[in-house]
Amino acid sequence: MSDRPKTTDGTVRERDADASARGTEPLLRIEDVHKSYGDEEVLRGIDLEIDRGDVEVLVGPSGSGKSTLLRCLNRLTEVDSGHIYLGDTEVTAPDTDPNAVRQQIGMVFQDINLFAHLTARKNITLGLRKVRGLSAEEARQRADSELERVGLADQADSYPAQLSGGQKQRVGIARALAMDPEVMLFDEPTSALDPELSNEVLEVMQGLVAEGMTMVVVTHEMRFARGGADEITFLADGAIVERGPPEKLFENPERERTKRFFESIRHE
Amino acid sequence: MEGTVALTELSTALPAGQLSSLGEAQVGRYLGTDWEFVYRNGDYLLRGMAVTIVLTLTSILVGFLAGFPAGALEAYGSGYSRAFVRKVGVLLRGTPILVIMLFTYFVLPIEVVLGAAEFGLRSVEFVLGPAPVTVPTDVPDAFVAATIALGFRSAAYQSQIFRGALGSIDEGQMEAARSIGMGRLEAIRHVIVPQALRRSVPGFQNEFTIVLKDTSIAFAIGLGELLKRSHDLFTQQTTAVLEVILFISLLYFVLTFGTNRTLDYVSNRFAIPGESS
Repeated sequence: MSDRPKTTDGTVRERDADASARGTEPLLRIEDVHKSYGDEEVLRGIDLEIDRGDVEVLVGPSGSGKSTLLRCLNRLTEVDSGHIYLGDTEVTAPDTDPNAVRQQIGMVFQDINLFAHLTARKNITLGLRKVRGLSAEEARQRADSELERVGLADQADSYPAQLSGGQKQRVGIARALAMDPEVMLFDEPTSALDPELSNEVLEVMQGLVAEGMTMVVVTHEMRFARGGADEITFLADGAIVERGPPEKLFENPERERTKRFFESIRHE
Repeated sequence: MEGTVALTELSTALPAGQLSSLGEAQVGRYLGTDWEFVYRNGDYLLRGMAVTIVLTLTSILVGFLAGFPAGALEAYGSGYSRAFVRKVGVLLRGTPILVIMLFTYFVLPIEVVLGAAEFGLRSVEFVLGPAPVTVPTDVPDAFVAATIALGFRSAAYQSQIFRGALGSIDEGQMEAARSIGMGRLEAIRHVIVPQALRRSVPGFQNEFTIVLKDTSIAFAIGLGELLKRSHDLFTQQTTAVLEVILFISLLYFVLTFGTNRTLDYVSNRFAIPGESS
């Protein structure tokens, strides 16, 4: 079973109490990552270090490269140059098996992408059975406990088409969590949902923050960024413009470009 | 077995009326002597129908076994394999079925075909262990030639059904599978194919009906299927052409209608709950 604490009722900031217990060793290191599509350079040398247990929120206008950066982290997109490390493993090394790395990096998609032909439970057991090699019974128990963790124990036998958008995305999160990843990537997890349904997804994410999960989140949800992030990175045109804790970027950004971005969002 | 009997009696002469003689007189009195003729030779025609059914099944099977991998190659393959499959497909789809069938019957050496089938079966046995079937050697040449022609022509169309269905599955499904550490082939097998097979049922339904009706083209190479046998009959009693053709049309209709209803049922049975089919 999961060795993670199951406190989902805590407030967002609660975990700061044991912040000192965490090492300062970065879990994710991104070094000079470049990526181009044809003539267009979408990532122009990204350097970033994310500590274990931290929540990093990537923001920026569309086309700034934040989703591409996220997809490079688990090699759904291959970098052109540069290096990405997860702990001691170089993710981007040619002899690194991407399938092994991806088991340690969970991903939640904007389009949710639940396996349409499988029930909520089987969406979760598929990876446990075929990738982790668990027995049917072990996988089922694990799936049920993950569904309970996202508050969907009663929907285990529902098919994706029978679930609401928010429920689907919570199953998507449970599917990623079941693989017991070291870090979770969220690619605009609420962009396809209307505000009411976004909330239930954000609550689940807040719960993960409270549990101390390392998270990299691309989002336009400024409430989450403000309340859940340890660091916010603002990207524009494929480069990091500014990085800092939420209070600083929201209230007192150094760069004019950052200021304009956060002002434009406030007026939405 | 009805099918086996029919296969081995393909070239026998017309049997005498073998249905119960009870009722023949009544049929003759109320519907005329031509309907009585059809009625008397009903079992002869029904055996032809059995050949039609068996030929449809073997052709569809060959078409599936060759067409599904071909469709997968067109969707996921690269380089020479894909180019080869595409070219063969274009060739088969661009040639009339009658021409293909005359080729497989008159040109293609039957030994080569049976040898290839034997080799295929041995390869399967090598991978999966002893197979419960053997390559039949006592099947009439015309039946083998018709199966190859209809089977490979159908493969060329089935490959397009599967290629389209595989391509219609959202890319996100593959990405989600890869993101939890599944390999590409595993993802195709466990995530893409199960959804694609469901989506190919309507196209497959169409293909099944087409193959069923096109078995009648085996008439041209003398295979005793339903149309050939009806021809045997109405050349013997030329006043009964209309009656014989109406009767076999009814049989063809029952077969296609029954097949479609069955596949409708299969489609509903395996539909994904909550999704409109």
